Amino acid sequence: MTIWKAVAAATVAMPLMWTAAHAQEVDKLKTLVVAVPSDPVALEPGTNKAEPIGSEIILNVFDTLVAWTAPDFSQLEGRLAKSWTVSEDGKVFDFKLREGVKFQDGTPFDAAAVKFSLERTKAANPYVKATFDLIKEITVVSPTELKITLSAAYPAFLSILAQPQSAVVSPAAVAKYGDKFASHPVGTGPFAFKSAQADTNVVLEANPDYFRGAPKLKQIIYRVIPDASTRRLELENGGVDIVQQQGQLSAIAAEDIGALKANRDVKVIETSSQIIRQLEFNNSKTDGPFANVKAREAIAHAIDYDGLLQGVFGGTAERVYGPLTSNSWAFNPKMKELAPKYDPALAKKLLAEAGVDPASINLKLYSFQGPLWGAVATFVQANLADIGINATIEQTEFPALRTLQTSGQFDVALDGRQPWYNDPDAHITIGYLSSLANTAMTFRMPADKDLDALILKAQQTPDMEARKALYFQIQEEIARRVPGAYLFSPKLIVYARANVEGLVINSAPPLNEYWSVYKK
Amino acid sequence: MASFIIRRLIALIPVMCIVLVIVFSLVRIIPGDPATTLLGPGATAEQIAALRAQMNLDQPVVLQFWQYVAGLFTGDFGVSLKTGQPVAHEILTRLPATIELSVLAVIVAVVFGIPLGVLSATRANSLFDHVTRIVSLIGVSMPAFLLALILQLTFGTWLGWLPVSGRLSPYVPVETVTGFAVLDALITGNFAGVASALAHLVLPTAVLAAFLAATLGRFVRNTMLDVMGEDFIRTARAKGLHNRQVVLEHGLRNSLLPAVTIIGLKFAEMLGGAILTETIFAWPGIGRYMFEAIKNRDYPVIQGTTLVFALLFVLTSIVVDLLYGVLDPRVRRKMG
Repeated sequence: MTIWKAVAAATVAMPLMWTAAHAQEVDKLKTLVVAVPSDPVALEPGTNKAEPIGSEIILNVFDTLVAWTAPDFSQLEGRLAKSWTVSEDGKVFDFKLREGVKFQDGTPFDAAAVKFSLERTKAANPYVKATFDLIKEITVVSPTELKITLSAAYPAFLSILAQPQSAVVSPAAVAKYGDKFASHPVGTGPFAFKSAQADTNVVLEANPDYFRGAPKLKQIIYRVIPDASTRRLELENGGVDIVQQQGQLSAIAAEDIGALKANRDVKVIETSSQIIRQLEFNNSKTDGPFANVKAREAIAHAIDYDGLLQGVFGGTAERVYGPLTSNSWAFNPKMKELAPKYDPALAKKLLAEAGVDPASINLKLYSFQGPLWGAVATFVQANLADIGINATIEQTEFPALRTLQTSGQFDVALDGRQPWYNDPDAHITIGYLSSLANTAMTFRMPADKDLDALILKAQQTPDMEARKALYFQIQEEIARRVPGAYLFSPKLIVYARANVEGLVINSAPPLNEYWSVYKK
Repeated sequence: MASFIIRRLIALIPVMCIVLVIVFSLVRIIPGDPATTLLGPGATAEQIAALRAQMNLDQPVVLQFWQYVAGLFTGDFGVSLKTGQPVAHEILTRLPATIELSVLAVIVAVVFGIPLGVLSATRANSLFDHVTRIVSLIGVSMPAFLLALILQLTFGTWLGWLPVSGRLSPYVPVETVTGFAVLDALITGNFAGVASALAHLVLPTAVLAAFLAATLGRFVRNTMLDVMGEDFIRTARAKGLHNRQVVLEHGLRNSLLPAVTIIGLKFAEMLGGAILTETIFAWPGIGRYMFEAIKNRDYPVIQGTTLVFALLFVLTSIVVDLLYGVLDPRVRRKMG
């Protein structure tokens, strides 16, 4: 009898539970699934170190004072700031803030919260030390007015304020969660953090009270899928809606792009980046084959730039003409004419003029690991062989490569830089200022009073037109010194299911905003 | 028996100490430190130095070792340099995924591998035997990633029966109770969750089990063939025992000892994480966790996971030895 009772109960209960279980299922058209290769590192501005996944989530959960306007990212727009003015000496920034904005925990946003956030990042985040140390004072003038005073003029500061590290946090939530805030981030952004499961997913929920209007999606699920070919299968199967760029790397192997472009269920969104990849010389070295500028010029003419773009990248990378990409607001159009052209005969002639016998050179061509860098290195190796230079490729693990590079133990290396803030300063100062030569992976420029002065002046001039003119001049000056051969700029590539609309892809940093995204 | 277990457990202590010293020094010999790796190619020396200081990596190594060992005695495995979370907690959240997969894979492998071996041996050189041997040869020699890709393409993309990767469908949330997905879905009465969790288990289990089943099948076949030629089998048959009794009770039981060793070793290996399988199937287990940690030079995580693996390995081998005792009275007497 009891058995029959149990069976009867189960017969009634099962369908009920089944419906209950289905009620938990999520509306697929209102949910965006984004594939990422690993867990985000730090989900809040105070600990974020420009790791791409965490940075992107921050930009969707929090807001910054200002942001670059899509689609060309040449103008700043106000986000939490309604408007702002900059003093003539470039040191004082006055912000008028938006009224009536609330954090996701219901507490009001005001000038004190901005002061709290920026001071918190300044104290806790070593990654932004160099720029945040310029902040001398932050004054709350009124709940909707804020004054930031810098110790020295730094026009790129507004760009820094658009960075994830400068996002505004809820002071009440920080007080509540303390050092667990990264597990419970609370901002004003279009999506609120809901949950995170290690190596599995991060779930964000729409913030219906978002001040720019409620997002069209109900939730975003970041799914961790470490393997590139699995990401591709999931995209083709509809298991994920978006496979995004991973910082500097493509999210799916380059050779798969053709197949995905032919797939009608998938769209491939390409946009220009500000990433530059180059063959760089050890410019501090006073001996060796490339101490003479003519020998460096020879190498710059030996490389078949268009062949590299088509042969290795199949059109997913663009030509770089000098120290800035052509989509930078400070790009000097004259660089297109000044850039070296592929001419092996001229290269050989220049080597002879420099008195360098190519047969006497045995180069070690250092490069990062990975098949893409391998393909680039092999291409360059073949170009060098054409002018009689023998090069061996040394693909080296990143930390070891960094040590070799910063200690100057190389003649040529493949390297590159991805600017995280949208300003020419991000390429020029760190790459070419001689006092920084040993502090990072740079061009290792030798002491050069004129160029150094020019770089510092451009970094600090508040007037934008004057700044632009200075950067025009700098680009020509750098090109004359031939510190390297600028090889290519990879495009940012995001793969999406065909029914995903409204995606905004930033170029520097390459992060997506999902506020305007919807699924058809 | 009890004294045997105690003796083995005491022997564990020096093993763990040696493992600890080796791994602590090895991770620091690999070039590149966590601060450099975490910050990436764009970072300046100043940023790296500041992060090193924040991570306490600027202290002398001996002091770091001392602090680490002192922490271990209070159950503190340190915090991950990447996430800032306690390593012990991070290991515990990932262990259930790996255990779920390994246990299931071993069960599947045993259920398929051993009967196949027995049937092959009793029908030696028949068509069945030849086919089984070829299939198991393929199973042993095919790389895991290839098998995984074939299965993903066939059952995920082409037939559309099974999910390609992950542990649960993102659209079917399951509340975490124990960390074992199937169990959690059952406890919370989430039947869609149970179905989703089981469907997600099929392919990774198949990949992990294939190699072990093939190995077991080949092994059991060979040892069975040896055993079946022994005198005591002839005696058993002469006593007029039924063929099934001869094969299963006399033959198989005597062939099982080496198979148990293989199962034990492979199980311990799987608990140490099937890095490739976990990576391809986006399975949030311990192997992938350690692999990522090595890439990121996350010292405390590498140390913590290695210690746990060593512990699991030694414990598994103790269990295998105990199983020997169960299967073989002579061993049982020696353990006494």
